[in-house]
Amino acid sequence: MNEQDSIARKKLEQRQLGRRNLIRVAAGAVVGAGLLRPNPAFADDDEHEQTARALTNPIPGFITPFKPFGVVVHHNPLKPANRLDMAHISDPSQITDFDGFVGLTHISGSGTGTNTVTGASAILAFGADMGFSQGKFIGIDGRHHEGTFAFV
Amino acid sequence: MYAGPVGLANQIHDYNVHIDSNDVFWMIPVEHDAVKVDFDDPRASLQVNNLRVFDDHDLANSLTLGMGLPGDLGFPYPKIDPVAPVRATVSFDVEWSGIANHAQIKNSAQNFKGSFLSANATIKWSAEQPGFRFESEASTNLISVLGREQNGVFFA
Repeated sequence: MNEQDSIARKKLEQRQLGRRNLIRVAAGAVVGAGLLRPNPAFADDDEHEQTARALTNPIPGFITPFKPFGVVVHHNPLKPANRLDMAHISDPSQITDFDGFVGLTHISGSGTGTNTVTGASAILAFGADMGFSQGKFIGIDGRHHEGTFAFV
Repeated sequence: MYAGPVGLANQIHDYNVHIDSNDVFWMIPVEHDAVKVDFDDPRASLQVNNLRVFDDHDLANSLTLGMGLPGDLGFPYPKIDPVAPVRATVSFDVEWSGIANHAQIKNSAQNFKGSFLSANATIKWSAEQPGFRFESEASTNLISVLGREQNGVFFA
């Protein structure tokens, strides 16, 4: 392993450790409420998907929507008030060390949800934050890459 | 997705690809052709079929990794029961077009710069998982942005 790989690995381990600690703090805070339980959220992530995705670095900015319970979210949500005031938007990219095109949308709507067992259907409202990034970036390995990503 | 008025307490589905092991939020590599951008016209599209995602039930469970919210400790959140994620697939076609506003930004605090357009957007999407299927019918753009940007080490 060369020095560059070693630094990248150390950086990744630090991030993962920081995140585990944050989750532990959040879990500890709700023990009294009886909500502590094994975290299933990432248990069945396919390893190859995680490997393919773990190449980019997040933007440094973040929000904590459910502080102190939630994880840190490296994302700047679009604010409808900025629709005619683009000069004051925050970085719409989720990836840092990035040079390329970004698209982001905050959109709402409705559609039909169907229970495929009973056949019953109902009109349901939705809100969606979707987007993309396409261009070049410096990966966690310190090297230049090109890629296309969907924000889902 | 909500059963009733839009709000966390009424949310019944939350589809996303989870935060990756490097803390990048809800981003997943897709085929190059899934995104088409013409920044001069300007318009863009994002089309993906049968993407494997998670249904976390609601945003609170998504961002607390399935632990929900207690709702009784003085925080401004409703009580949200813990829900484990389930696998689902989604297909979507998001289209950006038109310009409502434009700005050239150089933001030293956030280390990003570029040209940004406020655009109109539409979305058609569907979801499928065991016992449930959804098909969108109408959408309303709240705010949508197209940008050509540089950030991080590319900011100078």
